[in-house]
Amino acid sequence: MTNSIAITGSGIICAIGNNKQQVQEALQSGTTGIGEMRYLPSCHKELPVGEVKMSDAELRQALGVSSTEVFSRTALLGAYALSQTMDDARLNPDSLRGKRVTLISGTTVGGTEASEQYSCGNNTKTIARLVGIDCQLSTISTACSSALNAIILGARMLLNDETDIVLAGGTEALSVFHLNGFNSLMILDHEVCKPFDATRQGLNLGEGSAYVVLERTNEAHLRKCNIEAYITGWGNRCDAYHQTASSENGEGAFLAMTDALQMANLSPKDIDYINAHGTGTPNNDKSESTALKRVFGENMPPISSTKSFTGHTTSASGSIETVICLIAMNKHFVPENYGWENITQDCIIPAKYTAGKELHHILCNSFGFGGNDSSLIITDTEFAQCSTPKGARAKCENEVTMVVSAESELTQEDELKELRQYISPMESRRMCKLMKAAFLTSMRAMETANITKPDAIIIATQYGMLENGKKILDDIDQQGEESVSPTLFMQTTHNTLAGSLAIHLGCHGYNITYSQGEDSLQWAMRDAQRLINEGKAKTVLVGLHDMLPPTFKDFLESQGDKVLFDLYSKSIIVKSL
Amino acid sequence: MEELILELKEQIIKSLNLEELTPDDIDSKAPLFGAGGLGLDSIDVLELIVLLEKRYGIRLTSAAESKDIFTSVESIAKYVSENRKK
Repeated sequence: MTNSIAITGSGIICAIGNNKQQVQEALQSGTTGIGEMRYLPSCHKELPVGEVKMSDAELRQALGVSSTEVFSRTALLGAYALSQTMDDARLNPDSLRGKRVTLISGTTVGGTEASEQYSCGNNTKTIARLVGIDCQLSTISTACSSALNAIILGARMLLNDETDIVLAGGTEALSVFHLNGFNSLMILDHEVCKPFDATRQGLNLGEGSAYVVLERTNEAHLRKCNIEAYITGWGNRCDAYHQTASSENGEGAFLAMTDALQMANLSPKDIDYINAHGTGTPNNDKSESTALKRVFGENMPPISSTKSFTGHTTSASGSIETVICLIAMNKHFVPENYGWENITQDCIIPAKYTAGKELHHILCNSFGFGGNDSSLIITDTEFAQCSTPKGARAKCENEVTMVVSAESELTQEDELKELRQYISPMESRRMCKLMKAAFLTSMRAMETANITKPDAIIIATQYGMLENGKKILDDIDQQGEESVSPTLFMQTTHNTLAGSLAIHLGCHGYNITYSQGEDSLQWAMRDAQRLINEGKAKTVLVGLHDMLPPTFKDFLESQGDKVLFDLYSKSIIVKSL
Repeated sequence: MEELILELKEQIIKSLNLEELTPDDIDSKAPLFGAGGLGLDSIDVLELIVLLEKRYGIRLTSAAESKDIFTSVESIAKYVSENRKK
């Protein structure tokens, strides 16, 4: 059975608009949404941000939710965008009945608040509840590539006949926590950012949410819905270089884009527009430009970053920018790289705004901390071949058998000193307890399975890097916003473990982090099986890692959650037979 | 100056998590970065910037301009004694 993946609806809310129409108008009139902070309660008023122009109260009102129940801004933005998306696809809770539906959301900030019991998975649950849908849920947390990875997972699940309708995307609100974290890394621009410009100083943080509806094409036709575009290729790779910087030769980005082109059966000159990751940091823009030159060489299509319009919306950027690509494709224009003026040898020369341009194939890049680099190709209805993306396996009768080749588990803190046998003190000095545990069980499992480097790394975590997150929140509380430690901050995203393992092992393969409460490990194992079926990996390192500092344990217990552990780490090596 | 140098060594060990080291292990004049040095990296530079702000009230605005300040414990001590606000 061959089938292609159709995008049958989309929705968006970000700094330049609360819906697709407003976003389109801002892009076409060259109006940025980045400016002085109005809603975020931070003392850093000197930092320009891309805020959604609605307060929490206004979002609650728009959603018709009670003003007494507490909701995180991330959940409110997510519900707002998802609701718009479903309307766009002419879906409602009733029309979803009887179908297998999956909501896949990418986030990091969602899940850092008490209202969500510090679990990303709960953020997604809340969004589903606010929109009134009851369906299978998955949450991906791979920093800035989360939402793009959510879309990719959705496409793969549809091809594998695991679900019928996918709602995929991401959501992220600004927060004092991550504003100060990025500030401690000294990568924020004090002016509106200028991606790829010689004088660029860094990024501006933004917020927002966007989702797309994905369906198998023949079913989309049956439902007689409007098909906006098709997803024809993707790539998920790891740079495996550094937690917060990209490699000089842009290896992860290069591999992700190359994989996407191969899958879509396209050559570089077929691409009509690239929406770059283009954050405006000296490092990203140079590294991404190097990767782009490696892939496209002489055939450089129009390229722009839209982050000087929206800000860097971190975990939501992959879906926000995919929807911007859909708008550009359907309204026939190339978005400008707002603010760019000065050429530099380091970087590509971005495109100017161009109206009346047919864009048949668009490539969208999303690169995250931890080296999680992903790329997506969308193709318009005229050019789509309506065939299964090459190398993305459609469901077949016989699954490839996957066996557990080794397992290692750890629950006692005093075992962590055994890590010495594998990692030097200079390398382990920055590792929090959870990371030490994850490394120890991973090394032990790999030793037993007799492998030095897996083909892919898939990590599950319910609560992520709470120890580090808590330290930062305490520091901000006691010493103010200036006290955030860069070392701690760069290890607070949920994908820190997967990224660090990849860096240590030099593993450029598929790399992803799931955070869906108690179902996290299940999602990870299913993905390992799916990856092996697709022929993308023969050995996969899977892990479930969680640590609960005492105050979190108390809090969760007070909420009625049963807490079974202080520290838990399990690593599994699976192999195809 | 000696007191400041000792204090700095203790602070550096603490904020850079150099668990295996004591102040006696760090030579005040030896390079902190690069080969033959203590083996610190770019993230450590950021941490040292935070340390200088928190402890001594010195605000550095770019990692690049800070490179010379952080060559050795002695060079940090000199800079701190000339610029401290706390």
